[in-house]
Amino acid sequence: MGGKSEPAKSESMATKPDLLNTSFFSFKSLKLKTKQQELLLRISILGLVYILAFIARLFSVLRYESMIHEFDPYFNYRTTLFLTEKGFYEFWNWFDSESWYPLGRIIGGTLYPGLMVTAALIYWTLRFLRFFVHIREVCVLTAPFFASNTTLVAYFFGKELWDTGAGLVAAVLIAICPGYISRSVAGSYDNEAVAIFALLLTFYLFVKAVNTGSLAWALASAFGYFYMVSAWGGYVFIINLVPLYVLVLLITGRYSMRLYIAYNCMYILGMLLAMQIRFVGFQHVQSGEHMGAMGVFLLMQVFYFLDWVKYQLNDTKLFQTFLRITVTSAILVGGVAVGVGTASGYISPWTGRFYSLLDPTYAKDHIPIIASVSEHQPTAWSSFMFDYHILLFLFPAGLYFCFKRLTDATIFIVMYGLTSLYFAGVMVRLILVATPAVCLISAIAVSATIKNLTSLLRTKQKVSQTGSTKGAGSSKASSKVTLDQSQPFQKNGAIALLVGVFYLLSRYAIHCTWVTAEAYSSPSIVLAARGAHGNRIIFDDYREAYYWLRQNTATDAKIMSWWDYGYQITAMGNRTVIVDNNTWNNTHIATVGRAMSSYEDEAYDIMRSLDVNYVLVVFGGVTGYSSDDINKFLWMVRIGGGVFPVIKEPDYLVNGEFRVDKGASPKMLNCLMYKLCYYRFGELTTEYGKPPGYDRARGVEIGNKDIKLEHLEEAYTTSNWIVRIYRVKPPTNRL
Amino acid sequence: MAPRSDSQTLATGSDENESSIDPIFHILRIIPFSFLRPPRLRLKLPSFTLPSPMTVFSLILLTYFLVVSGFVYDVIVEPPGIGSTQDPITGSVRPVVFMSGRVNGQYIIEGLSSGFMFVLGGIGIIMLDLALDKNRAKSVKASYATAGVSSIVIAYVMSMLFIRIKIPGYLR
Repeated sequence: MGGKSEPAKSESMATKPDLLNTSFFSFKSLKLKTKQQELLLRISILGLVYILAFIARLFSVLRYESMIHEFDPYFNYRTTLFLTEKGFYEFWNWFDSESWYPLGRIIGGTLYPGLMVTAALIYWTLRFLRFFVHIREVCVLTAPFFASNTTLVAYFFGKELWDTGAGLVAAVLIAICPGYISRSVAGSYDNEAVAIFALLLTFYLFVKAVNTGSLAWALASAFGYFYMVSAWGGYVFIINLVPLYVLVLLITGRYSMRLYIAYNCMYILGMLLAMQIRFVGFQHVQSGEHMGAMGVFLLMQVFYFLDWVKYQLNDTKLFQTFLRITVTSAILVGGVAVGVGTASGYISPWTGRFYSLLDPTYAKDHIPIIASVSEHQPTAWSSFMFDYHILLFLFPAGLYFCFKRLTDATIFIVMYGLTSLYFAGVMVRLILVATPAVCLISAIAVSATIKNLTSLLRTKQKVSQTGSTKGAGSSKASSKVTLDQSQPFQKNGAIALLVGVFYLLSRYAIHCTWVTAEAYSSPSIVLAARGAHGNRIIFDDYREAYYWLRQNTATDAKIMSWWDYGYQITAMGNRTVIVDNNTWNNTHIATVGRAMSSYEDEAYDIMRSLDVNYVLVVFGGVTGYSSDDINKFLWMVRIGGGVFPVIKEPDYLVNGEFRVDKGASPKMLNCLMYKLCYYRFGELTTEYGKPPGYDRARGVEIGNKDIKLEHLEEAYTTSNWIVRIYRVKPPTNRL
Repeated sequence: MAPRSDSQTLATGSDENESSIDPIFHILRIIPFSFLRPPRLRLKLPSFTLPSPMTVFSLILLTYFLVVSGFVYDVIVEPPGIGSTQDPITGSVRPVVFMSGRVNGQYIIEGLSSGFMFVLGGIGIIMLDLALDKNRAKSVKASYATAGVSSIVIAYVMSMLFIRIKIPGYLR
């Protein structure tokens, strides 16, 4: 930059010796060319967006402390800790006897290692550079770091789809979009933190490969797919979307050599690399969910073969016949292969988790565990609005622009957007997968609209320029006059509309910041409420209970609780649990559910058979905390009743209604969960003006206040009564 | 180019009698059709043309409207079309349009009306783009522009109103 304008500087110094140029450093050398100005602007915008994406996710770290949130991240944290302490081979071959008590769990073969390996690599890199940070800090900040990287990938993807303006807008939109922030806030150390980055990277590399037809980009996309497979079970979305996209391109007549190279390379190499992950194993050739990709792969070969034959034969009639034979036989052979594979059981059918996406009513009727998770509920309009705001308006407009200018790349983003939005409608959790597509398409709409409006602003200058330089002929003069009459109106209108667009985008930014601060930055393990004078009260009961367990129980003690808390108990309490969040064994969970819903004697038999030493329940009656075990109780009954028909849900309901007050069913008033939650609660006054034993979470006075426990005794209750731990007494001596 | 053949009328089939290499055709020529005479029909195999992009786009817009209105939620959870609450003093039943208490819950009508607002906003932006198309009369362009701007304004204002009613603590 300095070199090019040097001759100008020396010239100006020689010809115009005035005040400005007397200094050694002339201001003329600072004036950049337009291209360089644009580059500087772009790089500074991307840098600011990178920083913005990181700091927008730090609310909970600033408000509470740097800790891991929720339930699943505690398992990830524990495995990362193990990886950094013991090394990769121990991690890869780890059999954990501390969870799922009598069964144990093969952790090395049942997890997606991408997240842990990434965090461990960052940790080792920092240690190599002599920054001795604790692994917990690295885990907490992994998600914001990868969110920043996602904005960069979104910029390049937008550039590939439309132009650099759309890329920049996409980067900004995705940096603060609440749909993405909800699962990538600092402390949310979960697979999605890395997986969304891997997803967008794979898609970008694949689209680049289809656009350029280069083998290098296709190889890169295969490695991106490998990273995605190692990171998250949602890779099934990629392995079904990409073949669907290829199929659509074939149907719309866009078959080309570039597509052939890109898809073949990505599919074969991606499949081979994916088999390196033990949890995935041979699913790419055995599971029904992956067969679509194989079918499209074979179809591409048929297309290539027919193209080659057409090139060799010069006779069109002969070729038509040959075409009909080949297509018929290919379809027949494919159908027979699929039939034989499915019938013989080699190709396994779609698993329940993914089948419930295609048929949303399936989980409600058949698999209560999947139906019970709150994140798996279908989406209402307000969740969409909450997570997307302005983008819901811009999405259809962006689709329109994509349809106006159909290229291979825009067809891809349209398909990604539509399929992911449908799945987001089926399950709230999948709004996260739809977010990059929605942001990219909205960015196209914003960029195209702003370009239209600014071109309106510019036309007047262009016309006046041509008028002055060319010298107006009579026709030109008259047209210039008529144009001039509408120009100021158009120009003012365009300026007003531009102001409107910027107003909408600023409202989007305000909304996103508010949503992030209020709704998505709570660590779930620490609860906060507003006190009587508006001050903030913190409930740290969970960690209090887990540390009590860690310090006051025998090291081989076994804890029975509902599966929600399993990961946290093993990570923070360092004790063996019976069931945890992995939910891989439905019968084991049903056994625990049965124990919780039976009378104390039957439950005691079950607990003795499982060697349980302590029982942990979560109770929200004193604080009004509504996600406690009594509110989850019906799911325990349903899951337990699904395996043991002796547990019947109507026994616990009165007229179809779930009650805990005097009118509750007798089975409910005497089951183990009720007794453990409300033991000694009848003596406690929770709210001014209400009788003792008033449950603030349900809003009623409890029915059975006089509870006596025969086989258990109370071991610990936290300061706000949220977590209650009971010791299982050994059997009485026989006389 | 998709090497998929389109229709071929039955009439041209007879031309290929001598030169066809299709084994199935030859088998069929011998087994039933040496003694059976096929009737003369004027049938054409249905030809398969791809719809235009804008047709596909309008179908997609309809699907978007359904998804964003929470149609899947309606099918699975089966909420009532509109909620009702009973006035504790007079005992009369008053309708409640917006399900309050949680973000992820809705009644059917509130979902459909919000979905309509979103689609209206999207159409407003599309009309703005149509207004800037050079090949139209000025009056048509002006009306497109006003329709577009008013659609966007109405859609945005109504959506903000809906979300404020639904979530009482919004932006506070």
